[in-house]
Amino acid sequence: MGINNYFIGRCIGALVALIGILFMSAAVYAEDAPASGAAASPEVAATPGAIPPLEERLLLCGGCHNPDGNSIIPENPRLAGLDAKYIARQLGDFKSGKRTNATMSSIIPMVDEKEFKSLAGYFSKQTRLTSTSDKAELVAKGKQIFEEGVLGTAVPACMGCHGEDGSGSEAFPRLNGQNPPYVVNQLTNFKNGGRTNDNKGLMQAVAKRMNEQEINAVAEYVSTLKEAE
Amino acid sequence: MMKKSLFMVIALLLPLQAAVVKADDAYVPKVYGNKNYVWDEMTPERVEVLKQTRDPVAGKDSFRGCQGCHKADAAGVREGVYPRLTGQHASVIIKQITEIRAGIRKNPKMLPFVEDPAITTEEIGNIAAYLSTLTSYRENGKGPEDMSEKGKKLFIANKCSTCHGKNGEGSEEKAYPAVASQHYGYLIREMNLIRTGVRGNSNPDMVKAISKFSQSDMDAVADYLSRLPDYRTVVAPVASSK
Repeated sequence: MGINNYFIGRCIGALVALIGILFMSAAVYAEDAPASGAAASPEVAATPGAIPPLEERLLLCGGCHNPDGNSIIPENPRLAGLDAKYIARQLGDFKSGKRTNATMSSIIPMVDEKEFKSLAGYFSKQTRLTSTSDKAELVAKGKQIFEEGVLGTAVPACMGCHGEDGSGSEAFPRLNGQNPPYVVNQLTNFKNGGRTNDNKGLMQAVAKRMNEQEINAVAEYVSTLKEAE
Repeated sequence: MMKKSLFMVIALLLPLQAAVVKADDAYVPKVYGNKNYVWDEMTPERVEVLKQTRDPVAGKDSFRGCQGCHKADAAGVREGVYPRLTGQHASVIIKQITEIRAGIRKNPKMLPFVEDPAITTEEIGNIAAYLSTLTSYRENGKGPEDMSEKGKKLFIANKCSTCHGKNGEGSEEKAYPAVASQHYGYLIREMNLIRTGVRGNSNPDMVKAISKFSQSDMDAVADYLSRLPDYRTVVAPVASSK
């Protein structure tokens, strides 16, 4: 089930990347073209290298993350309601290679750094949706770890940094409503050294103390968490 | 024959290499039990933090990374796995964090959260300033039965108050920790770690003072201290030097 989802997610991701690349080459082609056609669209001719309008960008980002930032592909993160500075920092890290991901690393060269702020601003203003889970036992275990940590192995409580309701901050990402497979992948990457761009190395230190069951439980729980009123 | 002499050469070279590696280390922490151990050594970082102006507001922000264990109100956990930090003297927090960072106090659980890049030297002072101002706290963990009377007698007879104060208030000036209202479980654990030297930064005077304690003696003292009220409700808090 998990593998299947993962596979589908990767396929959709790759497809969107492909569409994005085609889209981009079409744009480049259009930019090259005006010399021959005097009636070429004025925006293209007048502003070479200009920032594409948001609607156009949402076609690129929205394919994987949904236009409202609540990704329906479980492997992809929900961006809605994430802190704008946090999103911008992640985009910068993808750009510089500090954070890597097959799909994002192939998309990010198409996006100019000047766009990061407006894209981050847009997604940060969207409302994060919360999911439901039918895995009551896993959710209960996750809740305990989220609120109390694991005393024996010194796993700190998640809410210490991410907040009681998982709403996060500039330094620590929002977790409430996040897609479980995405959270599992990230924690596993932090644990194995696949992701190292966390704030001050704190998440790596914590993830190294977590086992697979704990990671699964926490991921399931946060997807059901709602922002405090 | 050839093989044997080759082994001999390698065997002779190995310790040499180890010695070279050791000499390269800039700072070798002097831990309790080492011949050259100096208790309460003013490490360069500790001196630096003590000189700095401390910002409790910035400290609150930096403390966020500590809250997963010590909790948002800094009261730790009642089981005593993590100590209560509310109202602890700034000088004590600074001494302990800098000594953990320097490898003098052995605290592998805490180390990743206080070593570089988790916090900076400046943040140590800010966190300490923030914690010393905190007043509200949840009820702390106490012993399963009231052993206060026995604990009190041991506390007085062994002159624990010389450093930790009559009311368990410790000392900001001398960086002796306040122990009143600390979690029972934490006090027992640390007494054991100090006495056995595992803590790394044991005060030799304290090791001597509790060397003859049985486990139940330590339990009793811990119970007594855990039942003492927050020292600030008994004695006026000593203002931080900065």
